[in-house]
Amino acid sequence: MNTNYLFLTIFLAVAIIFPLIPLAIAWAWARLFSPPKPGHEKLASYECGIDSTGPAQVQFQSHYYLYALVFLVFDVETIFLMPFAAAFLKLEFSAFLTLMVFLLLLVEGLVWAWAKGILAWK
Amino acid sequence: MTNLLIALAPEAFLVITALVVLGIGVSAPKARGAITAATLLGGLVAAAALLLHPVDGNFLHGMVVLNPLARLFKLVLLGLGLVSVVFAAESFPKLHFAEALALLLFSMVGMMLLAGTEDLLMIFLALELTSLPLYILAAFAKESRASAEAGLKYFLIGSVAAAFLLYGLSLIYGVAGSTNLRVIAKLSGDPDPLLIAGIALTLLGFAFKIAVVPFQLWAPDVYEGAPTAAAALIASGSKVAGVFILTKILTLGLGHWTGTAGWGQFAPGWAPVLALMAAASVVLGNVAALVQSNVKRLLAYSAIAHGGYLLIGLCAADAPSLTAVLFYVIIYALTTAGAFGVVVIVEKQRGGSHLEDFEGLGKSSPVLALCLLVFLISLAGIPPLAGFFGKFYLFTSALANGRHLWLVILAVAMNAVSLYYYLIVLKHALVLPAPKETVPTAAPASKFLVVLLALAVLALGLAPNALIGPLSNGQTVKNIIINTLQK
Amino acid sequence: MILTATFLSAFLGAGLILLLPERRASLAKWIALLAVLAGLGGAKFAFLSFDHSPAAPDYQFLTWLPWIPQLGISFFTGADGISVVLLLLTGIIAVTGVLFSWNVTHRPRAFFAFYLIIIGGVYGVFQSFDLFLLFVFYEIVIIPKYFLIAAWGSTNREYGAMKLTMYSVAGSALVLLALIATYAVSGAQTFDLFVLSRGGFSSGFQAWAFPVMFIGFAVLAGLWPLHTWAPTGHVAAPTAVSMLLAGVVMKLGSYSALRVAMTLFPEGLGQWRTSFAILATAGIVLGALVALAQKDLKFTVGYSSIAHMGFVLLGLMTLNRAGMGGAVLQMFSHGIIGGLLFAVVGRMIYDRTHTRDIADLGKMDLLKALPFATLTFTIASVASMGLPGFSGFIAELTILKGSWIAFPWLLVPAGVGIVITVAFTLRALQRAFYPSGEPMPQSFDPITFPEKLGAVLLMAVTVCLGVFPSMLLNPILRSFQAPLMHHLVQEVTTK
Repeated sequence: MNTNYLFLTIFLAVAIIFPLIPLAIAWAWARLFSPPKPGHEKLASYECGIDSTGPAQVQFQSHYYLYALVFLVFDVETIFLMPFAAAFLKLEFSAFLTLMVFLLLLVEGLVWAWAKGILAWK
Repeated sequence: MTNLLIALAPEAFLVITALVVLGIGVSAPKARGAITAATLLGGLVAAAALLLHPVDGNFLHGMVVLNPLARLFKLVLLGLGLVSVVFAAESFPKLHFAEALALLLFSMVGMMLLAGTEDLLMIFLALELTSLPLYILAAFAKESRASAEAGLKYFLIGSVAAAFLLYGLSLIYGVAGSTNLRVIAKLSGDPDPLLIAGIALTLLGFAFKIAVVPFQLWAPDVYEGAPTAAAALIASGSKVAGVFILTKILTLGLGHWTGTAGWGQFAPGWAPVLALMAAASVVLGNVAALVQSNVKRLLAYSAIAHGGYLLIGLCAADAPSLTAVLFYVIIYALTTAGAFGVVVIVEKQRGGSHLEDFEGLGKSSPVLALCLLVFLISLAGIPPLAGFFGKFYLFTSALANGRHLWLVILAVAMNAVSLYYYLIVLKHALVLPAPKETVPTAAPASKFLVVLLALAVLALGLAPNALIGPLSNGQTVKNIIINTLQK
Repeated sequence: MILTATFLSAFLGAGLILLLPERRASLAKWIALLAVLAGLGGAKFAFLSFDHSPAAPDYQFLTWLPWIPQLGISFFTGADGISVVLLLLTGIIAVTGVLFSWNVTHRPRAFFAFYLIIIGGVYGVFQSFDLFLLFVFYEIVIIPKYFLIAAWGSTNREYGAMKLTMYSVAGSALVLLALIATYAVSGAQTFDLFVLSRGGFSSGFQAWAFPVMFIGFAVLAGLWPLHTWAPTGHVAAPTAVSMLLAGVVMKLGSYSALRVAMTLFPEGLGQWRTSFAILATAGIVLGALVALAQKDLKFTVGYSSIAHMGFVLLGLMTLNRAGMGGAVLQMFSHGIIGGLLFAVVGRMIYDRTHTRDIADLGKMDLLKALPFATLTFTIASVASMGLPGFSGFIAELTILKGSWIAFPWLLVPAGVGIVITVAFTLRALQRAFYPSGEPMPQSFDPITFPEKLGAVLLMAVTVCLGVFPSMLLNPILRSFQAPLMHHLVQEVTTK
């Protein structure tokens, strides 16, 4: 039992130290070997060589998040489809039905989102 | 396979109803009556499926387990959900009404799945299915800042708690090698530190669900800010489901590590943890409720206190105590649902749920005032109402082997204190005159349900056997929940 | 079955009243009157048909129905001598209370419904032999008290109502604790008083269970120093409720202390009786002293209730036939007298003069303006002082006799208490009702028929009892020979 606690302690210590080491190295390197020397062209944002005009802060369209949400749902659905596809030949008919029900549920979600006007850009 | 389908028929019907409701909502969003009717019809079909064709059994290695006790709880949860639907129909904001009802239905599905499972994975899934719609519903009143705050707080704290819970459940799985509670129950010997960590995290996760200290901070804000019909389901349904599944996990799966919580006889296990949480909740809930001026917030603090009483019964962990816990949680849910129903109607009439908004209720709507009297007095534990018998049964069973005297003393004392704030609410409702004339807004279906719930509370107080019988006969609590007990 | 009729009629009456439509609200008092008359009829029938012959069973009119078998709770009611006496008291006070509330016009349905619920609960306590059932009835009384005082009361009503209710609930919490502990420790899986009283409780358990339970009940009986709710609450309450509270509800506490706490835990009683006797005597003396200093007539009466209840508790602690018989008799006697006093002060005087200040009342020459009220208060005061010919005399005399046997050193303070009682009663009577200085006579509404009826009934009872105390003493003393209480009275002979 004691070894398990030791195990956890070591694990915790390593988990803390391990990410800190590269950060420390990066900081040390930056300080010692690559001190910052900013210049106008170095700091300019990349726009394929053209000088940028206008303010950098454009109002973020919150509508993007709705697309991201719907995308996420279907992305996870795709992930679920993959093992199903891989094992398709060995599964019985009821499994097919079950997954069809799953797909249809998500399709109804899409239909709902469409009908509610979420997919139209405002 | 067909048996499994029949076993899951009620939940399936509810899902189909939710999809139908969403469909109606998209094609005819103004037809609130049709939407509500469809919801209620679906709920009744699900209830019929539950009652008419009962199937017992253990499916998918414990993921779906049905027995009379589970079916009773599913029925209770279904009933509470439908009550909330009716309240919502008469009080919810008009925007996205169909979606609100669909969310209520999904949450009910989650709760019902919780009542019928013995598998850790399914527990987590069902818990999330219950909670996520409730997070959305808590934020549903878009014009209200309180609602947005409620939804956000509920969601953030709930997600943290769910993370704790998931980690705890996975640690338990790691040690036991299976997610089935009955297999976990076979673990014995000295507890692995990982198992201890797992149990602790699981308890914390469920402490959130039941709203006990130290995870009770969400309850006052959510109960106050959420639209009242949603708060009704949060207060009643998720509490019943949470307590039931916690009981199952602790006594069925982790019965070997119960420990004892007697004063001077502490033995390590989950019972002492529950005892401390119970003591803190009982004190905090009752004392904080003394100074509240918003009735919904007061009900939230009272919910925290009642969570404490329930945990006292769980600490004792023998058959009568568990029967008492299950009895009390059902009684409490009915009473709270009714109390929130009264708040729904008062909010509709007066526009708020502060103490001042209840003034003159005795004159403007005596039936409603009488029902409020029944509910609050039952919560205070005064006979001949169900709440009294529930508390009496709970304390008597907890004290049966004399171990939890300190907890019972604390609970009885705080219970006496609680009468004060319930009387304050009733004073405003029954004694103080109305500030100005108000035209009562009709909410007939809610009023009917509130009266029905009040009658149920009175009936269960006079004849508690009607509920104790099904809960305590040998088929249910003894054999199904209690697997191995430490002492 | 006849006993069940007492509380059933009250609860049914309450239900009927609640169903009355608003335009028929004035019928509420008639329904209430019918209900309490039915209850009184039942109580009187039980009292008169109680078989006093030596061969008759000690406990009669028994009813037993299973209720919640899982906890051994049953609906078990019956009566012995003490019960029938107190049931009769309840009936009388209930009827006169309704008579004195005949003029209630503000929300009468709610008023009489709450009133009847209290009556039903009180009837229930006096006849229960199952401890759970007794506790249920005991608690039913608590909530209606709050609303009656808060909504229909007078001075400081919201504070008075809350204080009274919270004290009652605190007492009940103590009782609940002791009750649950008793059930757990006895292992008998039942709440039947007869089974539980067969005992087997260890001395150590009784040493804490008895005081907890006794104090829990005695709070409602006005045990000093936990009595402060009573004057505030009684003053704030409307007349009928004051009559009920002082007349019957305080007796719930002392009866339950006798029936439950003292019966279940005789050893604990033996350890604690001196302390409680001292507290009771303190209540007599200090209650009377504070009453002497009051300027409000109703407060005077309220504190006099504390003093009289102190006698009851002292009598209970003496553990001999004289003292305990006197205690129960004093319960009845003070119920009547207290009811009468509150009725006069509240209904007859306050409703008309709108003041209870003794000095102000003195200026109104009530002897000339309200002669019937003056007569009634005079008779009530005389009875309260313990003059022979009225019920208080016999009761207090027997208690003093019992105290002489058990606590001779407490006799002097108790006697002093009686003297102070005489003092404050005479002072209040003389200064409030009899003219002094320059009287400015006023005219008031005449005393109505219901008031006269109620007052005459109460006066008749106290006189009747004063002249024929054996009517009640016989059944009371008989109860102390019964198996439940047998050992209580035997204590003294073994000392």
